[in-house]
Amino acid sequence: MTIAFEVGSVTPAYAHTGTGLPGGFESGFSHPFTGWDHLLAMVSVGIWGAFLGRPLIYTLPVVFPIMMVGGAILGMFLFPMPQIELGIAVSVLVLGLCNGLAIKLPAWSACAIVATFAVCHGYAHGVELPSAADPVGYSVGFVLATGLLHVFGIGIGLLNARPMGILVTRSLGAAIALAGGWYLCLACGL
Amino acid sequence: MRGGALPPAILCAAIGLGLASAAGGAALLGLALVIVTACAMANAPIPATWSDVVFLGCWTSILASAAIVHRRKALKAKPALLLSLNAGIWTGAVIALVPSKSNLLEALPLAFCVWPAAWVRRQGQEVVLKVLANWLIAVAVLAAALQFLPVTPGYLPDHMD
Repeated sequence: MTIAFEVGSVTPAYAHTGTGLPGGFESGFSHPFTGWDHLLAMVSVGIWGAFLGRPLIYTLPVVFPIMMVGGAILGMFLFPMPQIELGIAVSVLVLGLCNGLAIKLPAWSACAIVATFAVCHGYAHGVELPSAADPVGYSVGFVLATGLLHVFGIGIGLLNARPMGILVTRSLGAAIALAGGWYLCLACGL
Repeated sequence: MRGGALPPAILCAAIGLGLASAAGGAALLGLALVIVTACAMANAPIPATWSDVVFLGCWTSILASAAIVHRRKALKAKPALLLSLNAGIWTGAVIALVPSKSNLLEALPLAFCVWPAAWVRRQGQEVVLKVLANWLIAVAVLAAALQFLPVTPGYLPDHMD
């Protein structure tokens, strides 16, 4: 219910909309739900993992949080990374295409793609990490929400086992890719 | 504020997941060791000036305990007990930094996740434990990094503002 509520309250804009978040578990948990670009990318990772099957069904959701934290640390220390919004937009586009076109890649390359995008998303979160009253609570909420979005994506991806399920997931992937294209246009200033 | 009962609770959860791969007797003994050591350490006179070291020890122990979940082989008795001792020490040490010891009651029950985790493992679904362990590792890495950051950049205007 919490997830449903949070998903319902997302704003149709970048998660990276500014600053001023209060610190703590709630703000950390809600942060990944506050922008469609992050949300779509994380759900896409889950759907793609489920589509690729074992071992990637669990390897991708394992790789993503760790690399995202790596990116967040770079962001927190303000390590210069230009065009991060472009990277996020490309991540939504590529992950959407991977699902929409049912692209099967070797495990190492799927992990490399997801890891690279995870760093971009983590960086965007890291640079706006609040000077929190409770940074540990914020971290827990942030990682937990990300993980739950992956699990949600895996749940959608498991529809592939049902008749017509593959059509649903591929259509969803195509829609996500379209959204990614839109974000890319925005990031390029078009 | 540095997370209240959360850091020791996460450590207890991590050791619970880690001990799930140990043999039944070792897991039980390990659990008892965590509880006894944590209770003893929580009453130790640890100076507040040691807090950075204590928290770093806690985050590192979470990494070590959660990483055990990724081992393919079962955890032997001696390493299981050593890990439990370590987890108990840092759990108690973090709690010793604050006057109230009620955090013990919030943190220690999470170590009992060893039983559901062992059940999940027996069902051949250790993947679930690996994912959970990685979430804990991610939290520990993030929290440990925050420790080295005097001011987080969150309230500063960024390039989108």
